[in-house]
Amino acid sequence: MVKVAVSGINAVDNPGPGLGIIKGLREGETPVSVVGLAYDAMEPGIYLTDLIERAYLLPYPSEGEAPFLNRLLYIKEKEGLEVIIPALDAELPLFIDLEARLSSYGLKTFLPTQKQFKLRAKDHLPEVAEAIGIKTPHTLVLASYEEFMKALSRLKFPIMVKGLFYKAFRAYTQAEAQQYFHAIVAEWGYPVIVQEVVKGEEMNVVGVGDGEGGHFGLVAIKKLWITSLGKIWTGVTVTHSGLLTAAESFVKHFRWRGAFELETIVSGDDIYLIEINPRFPAWIYFAVGVGINLPARLLKAALGGEPERAWDYPAGKLYIRFTDDLVTDLEVFQRMVTRGER
Amino acid sequence: MKLKRLAISEEGFVFDPETGNSYTVNETGLLILKKLREGLSLEEIAEIMNEEYGISREEALRDIQDFLEAMARFGLWEEKYG
Repeated sequence: MVKVAVSGINAVDNPGPGLGIIKGLREGETPVSVVGLAYDAMEPGIYLTDLIERAYLLPYPSEGEAPFLNRLLYIKEKEGLEVIIPALDAELPLFIDLEARLSSYGLKTFLPTQKQFKLRAKDHLPEVAEAIGIKTPHTLVLASYEEFMKALSRLKFPIMVKGLFYKAFRAYTQAEAQQYFHAIVAEWGYPVIVQEVVKGEEMNVVGVGDGEGGHFGLVAIKKLWITSLGKIWTGVTVTHSGLLTAAESFVKHFRWRGAFELETIVSGDDIYLIEINPRFPAWIYFAVGVGINLPARLLKAALGGEPERAWDYPAGKLYIRFTDDLVTDLEVFQRMVTRGER
Repeated sequence: MKLKRLAISEEGFVFDPETGNSYTVNETGLLILKKLREGLSLEEIAEIMNEEYGISREEALRDIQDFLEAMARFGLWEEKYG
């Protein structure tokens, strides 16, 4: 039985990938006991005791390295933790920085390098796309309001207004674009990315790179229904050869290590790279469901094993997300608030 | 040929594994798709439609061409046909 900690157990309207990862781990060959890592006592995963045996609150990564590391070591001590699979963008830089130290304490991970992680910044997308033989929408990286206004006069609406790492809005008018620009600057600062809107099919690929140019499987999907936040609600597997080839080039060229998701728009023969996520997406259970158990393969890689590499999955499998609810006692919440664990 | 990659069910449900798009076709559309995949010419398909549905070859050929134009709009047909 391997003790694995997984974060991102916030299964809310903008769900974290944690529960999908955990479902995958539980369906894998290696028996696991799961520790859920949460940042808020209300994260739904805390209350799903069938999936998560134990749950702990972590300090926010913004509080710094020392409290974060101490908390992880405390959990390791108490639970006999062996592997951590972090699943949230905001905590990843810290986990990557701490990787060697965690390893020296016997805590294993399977993460991208700091250099690889930086590729996800949207101002790096054109460079990545070129390296793997696909395109990016016409993109401007803007460092001031003046530059933004100048860019607006040159672009055709609608446009996407994005933060470097987070937030993306579609603006149909200049007034809307300005409003989103200010919202992003206020929350995330400069630069702000402005991008032309490319029409086409929204297709994503998930995979796990082995860090040596190969991978432990890829699965491509098309989003059929999305929520108002742009999150997938239903989807279908596809076997778009150009997209899968691009994903293989990505892994090979950057020698990617760990989980990743490439978000693209496919328009005829053209593939546009929209986003790189250096982690599993929230729909990761889709890959598990079509027989490519990427979370279990990543776990095996983290444990130093040689995971399966076959990734022949069927096109036309459907993914349905649904809401669920449960009723429980206040006791668990109380314990999370007072002790930070259950 | 894009037709080759399509998954076509007996009920007329058509799935494109490359794009993830799905379509439905009626009985006639299903017949045309199947025969095209078997490599029959448009004239040969018109002949079958003439036998099956009792419509003239000319009318059948027009219907086939209309159908192929619709397919082309969805990016499923790109070959020149006469």
